[in-house]
Amino acid sequence: MATANGSANLSQELLLSVAEELKLPLLQIARLVELGRLDGEVDLRTIEATASAALKLLDNYALGVRLALEPRELNLEPVSVASVLYDTGQQLDELAKSYGVSLELNVAGKFGTVMAHRQGLQAALTSLGAALIEALPALESRQLKLQLATHRSRYGIVAGLYADSDRLTDTALERGRKLHGNSRQPLMSLTHTSGAGIFVADTILKAMHLKLHASRHHRLYGLGTVLPVNNQLHFI
Amino acid sequence: MARILLIEPDQVLAEAYRQALRRAGHRVILCASAQAAIQMADEHCPDLIIVELQLVEHSGIEFLYEFRSYPDWQSITIIVHSQVPPSEFAANWPLIKTEFNIASYLYKPLTSLKELTEQVDAELAHSNIT
Repeated sequence: MATANGSANLSQELLLSVAEELKLPLLQIARLVELGRLDGEVDLRTIEATASAALKLLDNYALGVRLALEPRELNLEPVSVASVLYDTGQQLDELAKSYGVSLELNVAGKFGTVMAHRQGLQAALTSLGAALIEALPALESRQLKLQLATHRSRYGIVAGLYADSDRLTDTALERGRKLHGNSRQPLMSLTHTSGAGIFVADTILKAMHLKLHASRHHRLYGLGTVLPVNNQLHFI
Repeated sequence: MARILLIEPDQVLAEAYRQALRRAGHRVILCASAQAAIQMADEHCPDLIIVELQLVEHSGIEFLYEFRSYPDWQSITIIVHSQVPPSEFAANWPLIKTEFNIASYLYKPLTSLKELTEQVDAELAHSNIT
């Protein structure tokens, strides 16, 4: 019973932040259409990217709740982290262009495969990436650049998204988790929105028995997850 | 032509508001954070400020506290244009409005570009700025 209540609270808090978050793309579309009517030229590319990002957030939210409520759906398979990051970059490309953020893929090195739920991992990274893309200009970051990168740590293979902003910290993340459901802007030092993309990523990763945390990649700061290495997979 | 300082953290929305205000004949200075806004206000001496309350790191309310603490900036017209519903301030709103000398509060999801520019023009006219 305690677990059921916990899950209900989780999905309600997450639903609230997703609902708040979705106001933004709807507002953007409404204003871009209005502006287009005044100018006689509608920015269809940005509208399409905005709508598509909003739909992805909804999909990822649904996946996160489903995996949290029904762990049996969690089918693990050998996954190449580099290919997940590549696909994530493809999914985020149009949204990044709308925000003037340049995406870079840094998957140098051979890290082999890990056992993971591919769809979940990609959904988590896409949600996280979309949230960071929206947040970067508001952080007044000197460089509007987001790097999708992987590297090896002593705990496993790290997959994450990195930027030139030292506000991407575990402290900010922990504070946000505590405020989630009680504040309209729980990740105040990271984003001006409800941070739904980050919480959706957090939920999906948690359902996959992984954790979202702050990480460094060379000189950049970021958020990501550590995927445990399965030595047997190295023979595949 | 009035100088308007627009404090809007969302890049896509900021660009739409900037274009609409430009069409209405104003010069728009854009910034995304409270810290940058103080610096921009110092550099550009705006006639009117439009501010979102949900900003990164320092909120719009913190910006208002600091901005209004400078004697030279006490009378500059401020419009709050926010995604925070006014109902969330409830009983505190009259106090906040008076404390920060806020000319008007526009709830962003329900304010069209036309309504925003009309409100800006009305406030500028009220302050005798054309």
